[in-house]
Amino acid sequence: MRDRDERGGGRAPVAEVEGVRGSEHVIDWRNSLAARNAPTRGRAQHPLLRIREDISFRWRALLVTVGLCLPVVLWLVMASGSSADLLVPSPAQTWDGLTRLYDEGVLSGDIWASLQRIIIGYLISMAIAIVLGILMGSFRSADSLFESPIAFMRYIPATALVPLMLFWLGIDELPKITLIVIGSVFFNILMVADVARNVPKELINASYTLGAGRLTVMRRVIFPHSLPGIIDVARINLAAAWSVLVVAELLAAEEGLAFRIVRAQRFRQIDEMFALLIIFGIIGVVTDLSLRALRNVAAPWARA
Amino acid sequence: MGARVSTQTVILRPEKLEVRGLVKRFPGGRRREAVTAVDGIDLSVRAGELVCIVGASGCGKSTVLNVVGGLEEATEGIVAVDGERVIGPGPDRGMIFQTYSLFPWKTVAQNVAFGLEELGWPRARRRERVAQLLGVMGLTEWADRIPRQLSGGMRQRVAIARALAPEPDVLLLDEPFGALDAQTKRVMQDHLLEVWKRTGATILMVTHDVEEAVYLSSRVYVLTSHPGRVAAEVPIPFGPDRVPSLKRDPTFLDLRDQVQDLLSDQVRL
Repeated sequence: MRDRDERGGGRAPVAEVEGVRGSEHVIDWRNSLAARNAPTRGRAQHPLLRIREDISFRWRALLVTVGLCLPVVLWLVMASGSSADLLVPSPAQTWDGLTRLYDEGVLSGDIWASLQRIIIGYLISMAIAIVLGILMGSFRSADSLFESPIAFMRYIPATALVPLMLFWLGIDELPKITLIVIGSVFFNILMVADVARNVPKELINASYTLGAGRLTVMRRVIFPHSLPGIIDVARINLAAAWSVLVVAELLAAEEGLAFRIVRAQRFRQIDEMFALLIIFGIIGVVTDLSLRALRNVAAPWARA
Repeated sequence: MGARVSTQTVILRPEKLEVRGLVKRFPGGRRREAVTAVDGIDLSVRAGELVCIVGASGCGKSTVLNVVGGLEEATEGIVAVDGERVIGPGPDRGMIFQTYSLFPWKTVAQNVAFGLEELGWPRARRRERVAQLLGVMGLTEWADRIPRQLSGGMRQRVAIARALAPEPDVLLLDEPFGALDAQTKRVMQDHLLEVWKRTGATILMVTHDVEEAVYLSSRVYVLTSHPGRVAAEVPIPFGPDRVPSLKRDPTFLDLRDQVQDLLSDQVRL
């Protein structure tokens, strides 16, 4: 506690101890500083509203729970208001829809069909993105060559290519996989290039002076340094791949989650549509968490 | 370089490291003026010598080091090591940077082994060399840590060990202790002297710390700024056995002030 002089004018604390020592008048503010109504300085911040500061585990747990429950509550409210013609099915009805799909024996086939397209298409997309992205992030020449065509392609919505792809490649798996690749690869390339550009120049220079050639530098330095960033890029753009797949399946498919939604629409089975939408969400969250885990396993050195 | 003829033929052997008439110009762009960073620098380092280059920031001293390391191309002039012209980077010129140069995903031992792997040393010989260097640098017990688990001083020791591993002809240090706190810096200076004595390495070091330069070097080159030229070459008369108390020696203080004055003349605000 520190002494304060008589600044603050009229806002004097009420609890000061006054006394007379010798001929001088002593005001001892030290005790009063602990009092609630002592004058204050600075602006206090509520613990929950501090920029970039941690909050307590309790608050975190509470807020996360609320965040999870809120949509469910909203759903219940909406469902209770529209029971007549099933515009918004209740959770129970959705569950019924899900079991109906499961009993029909189509659910696992649909999930697998969609997953397979995503996995194949996205792996191809990432393979291209890693090679081209690292080249562009490493060589200004590759960057100059590829940047404008990629920027152009990136602005053509992949969904707008659906009719063309069906026309060119038929209605089998090929057009769907191609669409997933086209819908994600340009974003992936540019973002991987950005990750590769962020490898410190000192690290590359140090590798040269240790006898590494350019190929070795890309393979043994730029790639491993970029790996955690590349996995993050894959995680972020995966959602875009799903939306392209859905459009492709909506137009032409015999199985798949989006195809099943279209079929449910034909029979006005809104409960099944809800069930399928929730499955999309669950698959998304599971892949997201898995890719986060993969990042931590593949690059423990970059863990936050 | 070359031979002079008088009554008898005297062959002037090249120094370990020679820099002759080095000019480095950065071409201008549409919004950028062309800059001459380095304008005709001559310097040389004899085998087993530790030479420092001091200069104010922006005097192109790092550029000189980068050209010697082969990381930048000279606009004019020649850099030669053992009489061979430098045209690119190579493991014969180990380099140590101020920061961010360790592989963050590799352990200390793996970092040190990197250059040896590139040279194709067999595993057993590699392991032996790494163990020896970790011993010299006092890093043995940290062999399996990754860089982010180490302090700044520790990391620079790893960087030195890694640069020494391929047995380079010349060791180039670019402000190696610039990012360290004052205490760690002092310890690292003595450590570098120790390594220099034990390995007999030829070292060219860039620093802006005058005391550091005088304490470590056999000779100090003082550079001017904008553009960089050699303002003076100051021989340092102390032998290789130097202890921290030297920094209080009157001769040392005189030399330090002398170099400091040379440098202060160059500083433009």
